[in-house]
Amino acid sequence: MDSQIFNPNPTIIATTQPIARRRATQAKLSLWLLDGDDDSKPIDADEVFDLIRSISDPEHRSMTLEQLAVVSAPQVTVTPNHILVEFTPTVPHCGMSTLIGLSIRVRLLRTLPTRFKIDIRVKPGSHQSEHAVNKQLNDKERVAAALENPALVDVLETCLESAGRR
Amino acid sequence: MDVDLPYRVVSVADLSGHDDRAWHVAWNPAKPLLATCSADKSVRIYAYTPDPSPNFVLHTSIPTGHTKTVRGIAWSPSGHTLATASFDANIGIWQREDQDDAGEAVGGEWECVTILEGHETECKSVAWSPTGTFLASCSRDKTVWVWEAQPDADFECMGVLMEHTQDVKCVAWHPREEILASASYDDSIKLYLDDPSEDWFCFTTLTGHASTVWSLAWAPNGQYLASASDDRTVRIWKRITEHEWKCVLVLEEHGRTVYSVTWGVGKPGKTDSGSESLGWLASTGGDGRINVWAFEESPEATNKRPPKSRLIARLENAHGVNDVNSIAWCPRKGYEDLIATVGDDGVAKVWKVASV
Repeated sequence: MDSQIFNPNPTIIATTQPIARRRATQAKLSLWLLDGDDDSKPIDADEVFDLIRSISDPEHRSMTLEQLAVVSAPQVTVTPNHILVEFTPTVPHCGMSTLIGLSIRVRLLRTLPTRFKIDIRVKPGSHQSEHAVNKQLNDKERVAAALENPALVDVLETCLESAGRR
Repeated sequence: MDVDLPYRVVSVADLSGHDDRAWHVAWNPAKPLLATCSADKSVRIYAYTPDPSPNFVLHTSIPTGHTKTVRGIAWSPSGHTLATASFDANIGIWQREDQDDAGEAVGGEWECVTILEGHETECKSVAWSPTGTFLASCSRDKTVWVWEAQPDADFECMGVLMEHTQDVKCVAWHPREEILASASYDDSIKLYLDDPSEDWFCFTTLTGHASTVWSLAWAPNGQYLASASDDRTVRIWKRITEHEWKCVLVLEEHGRTVYSVTWGVGKPGKTDSGSESLGWLASTGGDGRINVWAFEESPEATNKRPPKSRLIARLENAHGVNDVNSIAWCPRKGYEDLIATVGDDGVAKVWKVASV
C-alpha cells in the first residue's frame, strides 16, 4: 500500500457509548437479531453507526473512524430498504478515502440483512475527487473485483478487526 | 404490480446452484441450452425441453479453472463454442470434447480448448460477431480487443482499441454488420468499424448518459441500439445515416442502476395499427425490477423521430430483494417469449412474457 502520509496530525474527538447496545441492554434484546426477524425493531441510523464506528482508520490504525470524526450517526440515513452512509475524510486530498469507504461497505455487507441497498458517499465538498471516489465505491463490479485482490483484502481485514469491539 | 399492462412476466423455472452472485446469462442460439456464470468461478449449463412448457434441467457444471469471478459468457452463432470472460484477465474458449465432422457435439465433457491472454486487468464482457468470425473482449484496463477466430481454436488479435478513458463494461456486435459497440465507466458508448486497409477504428462516440453505461443491446433490425446505465435510464439510439447515431428516447422506469438490457424480436410483423414491430426490449437492475417494452415504427416515420414505445409488462422483485445482473431473450425460433435472468442470489430464472 501507499506509504505516503496524507494527514500526519489528525484531530481526535471523544467517543460516546454505543447507542444501540445501551438500548439493547435496557430492553434485554440482542443487537444482532438482524436477520429476518420481523418482530425485532427496524434498524435505525444509530445501529448502523454502531456497526461502523470502531473500524480502524487505514492511515492511523490505532484510531477508529469515530475518533477521527470520519463517521457519525447523523451522517447515516436509513429508510426501510435503503442505507446511505456519508463519511468525511480528514483531509480533502485523503488518498485513503476509497479504502475507508470500502471498509464501511464490507462491514455493512457482512452484518446487515441483504434487503438493504447501500450507498456510500463522501460528505459533499469534503474531498477533491468526490465524484470519482463516490463512483468507485458504488460500482458493485469494482467492489467485487477489489474483494478478489488478496493484498487489498489483507489491509481491509486489518481495518475491520476492531469493528466488532463495541 | 401494474394490473393495466397487457402482458405479464410469468415464472417458468427457478434454477439455483451457484454458490455466489451470478453475473451473466446467455442462451445458446442453436441448441436448447442456457448458460450462467458466477463469482463462484463456475459456468452452469441447463438443457430444456420443447415449448409450450419447457422443462429446465442441469446439463453440466463447469468449474472453469478461472482463478477469479467469471463475469461474462457468450455463445458463438453456431452454438458450438462458449467464451468466458473472467476477473482473472483471461478469456476461456470452451467446446465439447467429442464433435463429429460438422462440428456437431455428439457427447462428452465441455473442455477449455484455448485461453486468450492479453488484458491486464479484469475482463468484463465477450461477444461474437454475427458470422462468428470475430470475438470482442473488454476490460478494466480500458481496452477493447478484437480477435479473429481461425481454424483449430486459434485466435489472432486484430486490434486493441484504446478509446475509452475508463473501464469498459460491455461489448456487443451489430446483428448483421461488422460494427462493434462498447460501453464504459467513462459514461460513453463507442462504435467501431474495420478499415480494410488499416486497423479497427472508432467512428463515433455516443454521449448523453450521466453515469456508467453497463449494458448494450442492438435492435433485431440493426437500426437501433439500447444502452443501460447507472444513471437509472435506458437510452435508445437511432441510426440517422450510415455512420451517425442519435439518442431519440430516454426511458426512466428504474429506481436503481440498470445493469442489463436485451432486445428480442417479440411478436414480429405488422402490429394492429399497421406499424412495423421493432421487437421487445427488456431491462433490469439494482431495483430488482423487470421492465418490458414493445417498440414499433410507422412506415412514414422520419429519420429523427423516436420509435413508438409502450411499457407492456413489469415485474417487481424478480429475484426477491436481490439485484438482477443480467437479462436475455431466448433467440431461438418458437421461444422468443422466454427471458432468462440471474441475480445476486446466485439463482437463474426463466420467465415467459404472456398476454394477460
